[in-house]
Amino acid sequence: MIETDTGKGSTPAAYERIVFKTTSPHHYMKVRLEFQEAGVRLNAAHFKQLVVSALKELHGEFGAALPVDVLTYEETSLSAILRVSSSGLVKLWSALTLLGSYQNRKCAFKVIQTSPFLLALSGNSRELVWN
Amino acid sequence: MVRFKHRYLLCELVSEDPRCRQCIEERAVSAAVKDAVARTHGDFGLACCSIAFTVKYLNAYTGIVLLRCRKDFYQLLWSSLPFVTYLENKNQRYLCFFNTLHVGGTIRTCQKFLIQYNKSQLLQLLHSCTNEVERQAIQKSVLSCSLKEEEQFQEEEEDDLEETDST
Amino acid sequence: MSVPLRRLRETPRHLLVCERSHVRHERSRHTAHVRDHPYNCRVSFLIPECGLLPEALKSVMSDVGEYYLVKNLSLHELVLHDFINTFVRKGSCYELTCNTKIDQDNTAALLPTGKLIISVDKDTYEELGLQGLPSQYSGKKVMRYIVTIDLTDSAFNPDGKKYKRVLWALKEKKPLEFDFLLAWHHAGAEESSLMTYFSKHHIQARQPKITFSTLRNLQCPVLRNNKLQGEPEESCSAQELFEWLGAIFNNADLDNKSFSFLSTYSCPQPSTNVEQTYLCTITGFILPEKIIQLLEQMCCYFDEPKLAEWVTLTVHGFADSPISWREYEHGFQKGGENLYNFVVFRNLDYWLQMAVGARDSCPP
Repeated sequence: MIETDTGKGSTPAAYERIVFKTTSPHHYMKVRLEFQEAGVRLNAAHFKQLVVSALKELHGEFGAALPVDVLTYEETSLSAILRVSSSGLVKLWSALTLLGSYQNRKCAFKVIQTSPFLLALSGNSRELVWN
Repeated sequence: MVRFKHRYLLCELVSEDPRCRQCIEERAVSAAVKDAVARTHGDFGLACCSIAFTVKYLNAYTGIVLLRCRKDFYQLLWSSLPFVTYLENKNQRYLCFFNTLHVGGTIRTCQKFLIQYNKSQLLQLLHSCTNEVERQAIQKSVLSCSLKEEEQFQEEEEDDLEETDST
Repeated sequence: MSVPLRRLRETPRHLLVCERSHVRHERSRHTAHVRDHPYNCRVSFLIPECGLLPEALKSVMSDVGEYYLVKNLSLHELVLHDFINTFVRKGSCYELTCNTKIDQDNTAALLPTGKLIISVDKDTYEELGLQGLPSQYSGKKVMRYIVTIDLTDSAFNPDGKKYKRVLWALKEKKPLEFDFLLAWHHAGAEESSLMTYFSKHHIQARQPKITFSTLRNLQCPVLRNNKLQGEPEESCSAQELFEWLGAIFNNADLDNKSFSFLSTYSCPQPSTNVEQTYLCTITGFILPEKIIQLLEQMCCYFDEPKLAEWVTLTVHGFADSPISWREYEHGFQKGGENLYNFVVFRNLDYWLQMAVGARDSCPP
């Protein structure tokens, strides 16, 4: 039985399947900035600036020009979701890894999850703890 | 064993400042290039380009420079050459820029290209001559570089020259 | 471009499969797709133009069913004849190891079809002495093996050689202990329960965690049920919707300007402004049977005239389960994502989007 909406002329029994293979235009990274000492605060703009400066240090002006978006940023936990074009994922990841300090204070980026799908970041089974 | 493949970039240093000629030396050129690579491609790019990077040939009179780097990373080097804007020597900065003439896989092909290029440059100079003394000097040098080649080729060349002279 | 520089731009393989069909079509495979994806850790749905949830949907939601957590359960308990007869043969028994990571630890899963899948590293495999296959995603050096045991096989009876061998291997040769998530779905009357069967193993009953929220003045993309790829100026594509949903569930800001320093992400165009949107997330060990019920209720949502053009239902799989769809091997590599999303339209057309990461076969 096929129910069709009378208002719109939808075609019944239509079936379509498209497979997108490695075509995601963006990659997403959930990261957290960790400082050696406690109590360092920085706002979203400073956070983005830190990411860009990390890129500039390792990959120069070309790297700093990569389109990186800070989709979400939580000031209390210093965690953020970054969006980067897929071709820049390796550059961004390597730059974050090699970043060592912010204003002479030792810090490190911890990559919690990366995915080509933003939706996957909202349901990470590894964040669930069963005990 | 497989050899490491290289790329050779044949470049011309162009400067309006005549004093710039003096400071075309290996260290100054390599420092300027490396500085540009570090700025445009960062630590990563600099490390990539520094593998086997040398200034292979340098001619202070013509401003010709031959740079070598690994084949894998020559694009990084090539893309940062436009960002070289000055040469520094003894705390003096001379504005100049790189003009890439040829990219080759061996020094031999670069040399061949350079000979051809210089010949064509001579012909161009001949066109822009203003007095008879200059003209004769250039004709002489054109003949001297053509004489070494085969006779047939030489004749053709001379014919060409005569034609261009008469026009 | 040279190899090292090309590597710098490459990303791991990933697949997004988009399907379009009708819920009531007799050949529609949407229930099969749900059933084929046994282990789900989170279900979320989004209903635009909805302030109050219908009672029917609410009751299904609250009845997603409890699941059990057993700590340090020896794996041989699952192949005991008693267990197979009481649970595996009399319903759908779902079991999955938790607090284990598929790329470092040994893991095991019991499928509702009665297949026990054990994914073990090389050393354990060699000690175990059971026959298995090297992992599909191993390189030149095999470091992981997959052992599959069919518990409902007729040859797998207490007198059989195979049964004795498996029991000996799991009990004496190499005892493996895991924390298990268990759930049992059965049609018949309640004769026995997992709770009483595992009473001496510190079994705990768990309820799924439900959170919901209402978003006000949300920009929603415009979708056309028969335009999966979207059309410029008219409707958004399935891929754009997928990203937008991610942004919603991650609380990302939707109306950024193109010159904004922080982020340039904005809602795909064309879009409409929706006054209130209902958002609900259920977290736990959720059985496919319950998801089918939920999906059915989502379709019933359109029985009465509603303002919403479409609703969505998103299901996340476990990143560390040894399988994703059917018995396709699943690995972690960079993200281990395996999830799917239904978009049900007002005329009961649906889009299904299935996404997997690098170490997964193409979903069915």
